[in-house]
Formats: sequence, C-alpha cells, structure tokens
Amino acid sequence: MAVCIAVIAKENYPLYIRSIPTENELKFHYTVHTSLDVVDEKISAMGKALVDQRELYLGLLYPTEDYKVYGYVTNSKVKFVMVVDSSNTALRDNEIRSMFRKLHNSYTDIMCNPFYNPGDRIQSRAFDNMVNSMMVQVC
Amino acid sequence: MSRQAGRGTESKKMNSELFTLTYGALVTQLCKDYENDEDVNKQLDKMGYNIGVRLIEDFLARSNVGRCHDFRETADVISKIAFKMYLGITPSITNWSPGGDEFSLILENNPLVDFVELPDNHSSLIYSNLLCGVLRGALEMVQMAVDVKFVQDTLKGDSVTEIRMKFIRRIEDNLPAGEE
Repeated sequence: MAVCIAVIAKENYPLYIRSIPTENELKFHYTVHTSLDVVDEKISAMGKALVDQRELYLGLLYPTEDYKVYGYVTNSKVKFVMVVDSSNTALRDNEIRSMFRKLHNSYTDIMCNPFYNPGDRIQSRAFDNMVNSMMVQVC
Repeated sequence: MSRQAGRGTESKKMNSELFTLTYGALVTQLCKDYENDEDVNKQLDKMGYNIGVRLIEDFLARSNVGRCHDFRETADVISKIAFKMYLGITPSITNWSPGGDEFSLILENNPLVDFVELPDNHSSLIYSNLLCGVLRGALEMVQMAVDVKFVQDTLKGDSVTEIRMKFIRRIEDNLPAGEE
C-alpha cells in the first residue's frame, strides 16, 4: 500500500528509508526531504498541547499527481513519513493511522534493543519485515 | 510460617520490561568494557554464579522442596518451580541421555531477550549466559557439580532456546571452594 516509508530522527536526518520500486529511490528521498518542511510547519502550528494520540498523526502533508505524503511525529520528535500511491484510492484515513501505529510500535521495540544506540541507522530484521509487510501489496 | 506463605510470587511484582532493559544494559556495557565476546561470556557466567549461590537460599526458603533423590527430580524442580518462580516461564525437559545424567531445558520464550537482536559483530556472544552461571552456582550449593551450556539460542536464529545440563559429580566436602 505504501511505496515509501521513512523514519527521520529529531535532528532531521534519516534513520531508515525504504521504497518500492527501488529504481526511483532518489526521487523518494527528495520527496521525504521536502516533506520535512511541511512537518515542521505543522508541529509549530500546533503549539504545546501534543499529548493526544490524535495530534501525533499529522495527516496528509501534501499531494502530488502521482502520490500522497502522510506524516506522523512522536513526542520525542522522531518523524515517520509515508508516501502512498495516489491511484490507490481505497486507502482510508483509519488505515493510514493504523499503519503509523504499527510503525510506532515497531520503532519502540527497536529502541528496547540494548544493542541499538539511539541515533544510529535502523538495521533490524524485525523492522524490515514489518515495513515489507506494509509495502508488499503494491507490487 | 505465615511470613513465608504471605511472601508468595505475587508480592513483588515488577515490570518485566524494566528487568529486560536492565539485563540488556548490563550486557551491552560488558561488551563495551571487554570488547571480546569470549570474555563477556565468562563474566556473565561468573556473575550468574554469584547470583546462583545466593539465590538458592531464597529459593529453598520459599519453595519448601525437600532433598531431591536423583537428577530427574532435580530437573523437574528446576523447570517447574524455580524457573516459574523467578522468570515466570516453565521450560520443558527433553533429551535425557541414556545414563540419566544429562538433559535439555527447552525455553519457548526467554524473557531476558525480549526485543533483543544480536548485531553481526557479536555473533559469538551468549547473551543469556547469566542463566548458566545461576544454575551452576545454585546447584553447587546443594552439593551437585553440573556443567551448563547453551545449545540453541533464538537470538542466533534457532527456533527455541535450549540449555543442556550435565551432572558431573556429587560434591562431598561441605565447604565450597573460594569463588572469584
């Protein structure tokens, strides 16, 4: 369902980017990078009350003719960005939210791995499997 | 008596994630300090040994089991009472050797390794080696010398965690040798 999933650290460098199909990877990298501006705009617009689950999910960041970009930010300012194909109109808001929740849960599992240093690139098989399961339906 | 009965397993509930994270922090710090997987394994075993020689007293006081008559009884007590009491899991006992002096404990899930993924540069690290030391230390205090080692480990890709325990001999002298 998603064509690209990215996890961005608090300092705005990528911890994990995976996209399908892999030839156009650079284009997705640029897309994610430009979406970070929109994320920052939304975060600053929301002010201080950021405890609710609803406000972690940022919603549609911006659409283009090929795809839509959704964002989600955690309380520790780690951002998840998801790019989905525009032709896939069956995707509802609830599904995107649940995909982000799964991402967030997997991310916390990785943080609990004692061998993972926060700030490193994410190199976990479990996380890869979970991301693959979210992306595989496109092909 | 009433104190022992009141001190059941539910009196000191602790968050298992805190325990797992604490153990993880311990192992990673040892890895940073020693830089060599074999040394870390040895240290974990030593630490486990020190825990085991003390834990056995607590275990005997809380569980009130009598003296075991043979190694099979010991195996049952370890798996059904000890593991249940301290880690909340009940491993199964299999693979008895023909002489009855070796068996395997199969753990379906090991609470020490929740969320842990071994990185490639630590492929020979035995992450839960503390458990081996604990079993060895505890049994030594009840006059049994055993050899405990990991045969399979879920962190290394196996489907279950298997600990092999081998009875070496009964310790006749009552004073244990000085420990490190």
